[in-house]
Amino acid sequence: MLYELTDLTKQFKDRQVLDIDALCLKRKKVYALIGPNGAGKTTLLNQLALLEKPTSGSLTFLGRDPWGVGNSLLELRRKVVLVDQSPILFSGTVRKNVEYGLQVRRIPKDERDRRVAHCLHLVGMDDFINQDVHGLSGGEVKRVALARALAIEPEVLLCDEPTANVDEKHQEVILRIIEEVNQNQRTTIIFSTHFLSQSRRLADQTIILRNGRISSYRETKNSFMARVVESDSVQTVVSLSDSYQFSLPPGVITRDDRDEIVHFQIDPNELAIGDVSMVPEQGKTINHGVVKRIASEQDRVRITVDIGISIDVLLDNTSYRASSPLVGDRVALAIPSGAVTLKED
Amino acid sequence: MLLDSLKSAVLLMLSFDRELVEIVLVSLNVSLWSTLFASVIGLPAGFFIAFYRFRAKRLVMTCLNTLLALPTVVIGLVVYSLITKRGVLGPLDLLYTQKAIIIGQIILIVPVITSLTIAAISKIDKRYRSTALTLGANTRQMSWVIFREARFGITAAIIAAFGRVIAEVGISMMLGGNAKGFTRTMTTAMALEYDKGEFVLAVALGIVLMAFAFTINLVFHFLQGRLNSDAV
Repeated sequence: MLYELTDLTKQFKDRQVLDIDALCLKRKKVYALIGPNGAGKTTLLNQLALLEKPTSGSLTFLGRDPWGVGNSLLELRRKVVLVDQSPILFSGTVRKNVEYGLQVRRIPKDERDRRVAHCLHLVGMDDFINQDVHGLSGGEVKRVALARALAIEPEVLLCDEPTANVDEKHQEVILRIIEEVNQNQRTTIIFSTHFLSQSRRLADQTIILRNGRISSYRETKNSFMARVVESDSVQTVVSLSDSYQFSLPPGVITRDDRDEIVHFQIDPNELAIGDVSMVPEQGKTINHGVVKRIASEQDRVRITVDIGISIDVLLDNTSYRASSPLVGDRVALAIPSGAVTLKED
Repeated sequence: MLLDSLKSAVLLMLSFDRELVEIVLVSLNVSLWSTLFASVIGLPAGFFIAFYRFRAKRLVMTCLNTLLALPTVVIGLVVYSLITKRGVLGPLDLLYTQKAIIIGQIILIVPVITSLTIAAISKIDKRYRSTALTLGANTRQMSWVIFREARFGITAAIIAAFGRVIAEVGISMMLGGNAKGFTRTMTTAMALEYDKGEFVLAVALGIVLMAFAFTINLVFHFLQGRLNSDAV
């Protein structure tokens, strides 16, 4: 387990801002923290970044107490990095900022140069490498701060509202980077956001905070909001955006819900993957897509298929060996009606 | 009379009068050393007081503010009582030496540097600390980040302290004794020349002192411009 929080509270003077009975966060997952202003998202991120000691209760990171005897705080803190909602850059050049975390770790210069160039390229700030940070726009500061965090190659990347105060184009860049870092480097990502759409797109699980307490905790992979385009006995077509529609099995939506917005979840355990020539059976619908990621998860294999949206499929080892898809393969994704659940919110 | 003195003073300066140069060098020597030692004490002290929470913090700040108003003659008296032949430090034979002036001046400006450092550090955005820590800095590395970001305020503190000691007269007079060629500083020499009714050297030293003040301010403003353009 990556983090285990038990009966954790955080108090500032007389005000209790965090009161968490229990929270366990696993490695290599993406978690979204959602909640209104003042819900305790930033305070929780600061706790997870090991920047503040809890007032009471326990927090363990990688099974160790960071504030316990033996003083492992610095060693553990160097595995985590937090990107603030309004990050601040040290005075100097962009390069100096991005290589700061590497310098304090005494990484050799060649390796520093390589990582700085790579991370600035990732965030699209290569041309700014020798520029003084004075005069960068808010969005550019945010991207440099993200590059500075990524350069460390942390085990856990914490982002406090990563797309706040960033224009739409760069919001997409930041979200894509977060997605890629999790997929390619298997970095655990924990981010706070006000946007359900972001948590649904990126997060495996969403933690909803209210008044410093966890009000709900749910799986958000394969969870979608869509507009119903067509619903009859043969199929249900929903639209996630103006340009993208996909088919759900018949009978999922029984009411005449055309043009209504529905929230539905697809159970990854119920899905099947097959050859593109796969023929839809009764009560199933077929969508074609490309395998984007394959990851082993205990006794199962998680396969992410891009059918225009990313859908996760969980196969047991036998089923996986039977289909043996590879990353980049074009496959058919079978969605049975029993896999889709309509949500009421 | 003033114009005549001014003209003679300029000529004295242009001729690099030996006595004038000697006095200026003594002044610079004691002021630079006292500023250096006071910085070594005052900067870390200011950083510690600004950065850490401790019980007597408010009391320490009040004491520092009080010490800012400490008259030079009081410092002169206290140090004199310590280094006089019958004083605790009498055997060190410091009285009427440049070292005695330096000790007195350190006591004078440590509160100045400490207070201004506290002000400079307190102004620094708290996010610098958390950013350095989350990027993996240890306490020493994080402190250096804060110091670096506060460098403009810290430079101002050091310059203000130097300006204070180069222009003070009480300590230099009481502890240095105004011995020609040894402990005669610009200010004590000016006081002596005034007593003698000889204005030429006094005016020349006054001009040199003003030139120092102007140059220091000029450098300070140049640095301010440079450092401000570095700030985010």
